[in-house]
Amino acid sequence: MSDIKYLETHEWYLLKEEVITVGISDFAQNELGDIVYVTLPEVGQTFEKGAAVVEVEATKTVADAYAPMDCTITEVNSQLETEPETINNDPCGDGWMFKAKVNTVDDSGMSYQEYETFVS
Amino acid sequence: MDKKTTQLYSFHKSQEAKFIDFGDWSMPFSYEGTLKEHDIVRHSSGFFDVSHMGRLEIQYSELEKISKLICSEIIDIENNKALYSIFINENGYALDDVIFWKFEDKLILIPNASNLEKIKNHLENYNVNFIDRSPDTVLIAVQGPETINLLRDNFDIPEKFCTSSTENYLYARTGYTGEDGLEIMTDNENGTSLINFLIDKGSKPCGLGSRDTLRLEASLPLYGFELSENITPVEASLSWTITNKSDYLGSDVLNEQLSSKNHKILKKFTIDSRKIARTGTVGIAGDTSGIVTSGNFSPVLNKSIGFIMFENKPSLNLIEFDIRGNLIEGEIVNKRFLS
Repeated sequence: MSDIKYLETHEWYLLKEEVITVGISDFAQNELGDIVYVTLPEVGQTFEKGAAVVEVEATKTVADAYAPMDCTITEVNSQLETEPETINNDPCGDGWMFKAKVNTVDDSGMSYQEYETFVS
Repeated sequence: MDKKTTQLYSFHKSQEAKFIDFGDWSMPFSYEGTLKEHDIVRHSSGFFDVSHMGRLEIQYSELEKISKLICSEIIDIENNKALYSIFINENGYALDDVIFWKFEDKLILIPNASNLEKIKNHLENYNVNFIDRSPDTVLIAVQGPETINLLRDNFDIPEKFCTSSTENYLYARTGYTGEDGLEIMTDNENGTSLINFLIDKGSKPCGLGSRDTLRLEASLPLYGFELSENITPVEASLSWTITNKSDYLGSDVLNEQLSSKNHKILKKFTIDSRKIARTGTVGIAGDTSGIVTSGNFSPVLNKSIGFIMFENKPSLNLIEFDIRGNLIEGEIVNKRFLS
């Protein structure tokens, strides 16, 4: 898991051979509380870095997850459509949200240690 | 400014509660998670520290004066009843929705936390004497279908919406979740032992997160959302509380609204999805539009529910919501969310 990097907007990404896997951090799911619904993107949709990709509905509030870099969606985690609570239970594992082909590489995310310091 | 905490703060900390700012207060939001706590209260028993709410002790000599300030009949009901009512201002608007507990020798008035100072000032302005017992007592709401059985050996259980007392406790069979249970008031020094007793009996601590999803699912209003100093009880579809036949502050406005039926109107809605129409969301139904006052996910119905305030009585039951740029259909429901 040491290759996972984090953004200030609380997403994590794993960059591997120009494909990113993206989700939200354990800190983020804990802040949101019980997640009851997610609006996932369509495969083939293109997003610029910083654009809202996934809408996360929790009982407490609604939040967006943003694109860590310019990318085109190649796969979404459809399990989340019926079991959105997977994000609460395993945010950095089974709770991943989407995979995307990277159009402009920007691997400037924080390491786990840097992110821990950022949120503490 | 530091937020206020209840006498039971160290207990909440020891249970690793997540906290949320609620007006002037820092209160437990959840312990094990909102949905889990919701489920506990719907199926077994959970308890809420609601000591942020007010507790005003009032003598019967003040009852006539109070009757001039609220929309419900309070004088003629028996001295062991609990009463939900609303303080009305001269323009017919709601100053607060409250619970009165009537005992043989006194009344306890329970205002909302955010309105406590306002209600105290209001009572003083109308020469109603009271003692503020809020700082030296705690208030615990124990709720859920197993609650009464858990407490039966230690508390005489009153009929629903009635009060009772022991040497250490004042309590009523009331609540804000749609479930059976007791709300119990006791002196601060008994607070921790009451909590430990409840835990020993198997009741679980619950936070304000589930209190909100529970009250919404139970079709109950929350002051500041469904009621306010811009909303009358008639507009909030709470006309059933208007049982005070004598003149009281604002009664002319409420009577006029009841007869003209010309006023904005609060409705309940469901959305066949888990997408939530939150507070402030605009909804259109036929030729009238409204604004969502509260909206959330209903765990029991497994869909999104809420209250919406329409400008006029809607001609259609179909609502089109604009949820962050997406048009989502919902439906007005005239029955309670839960049967």
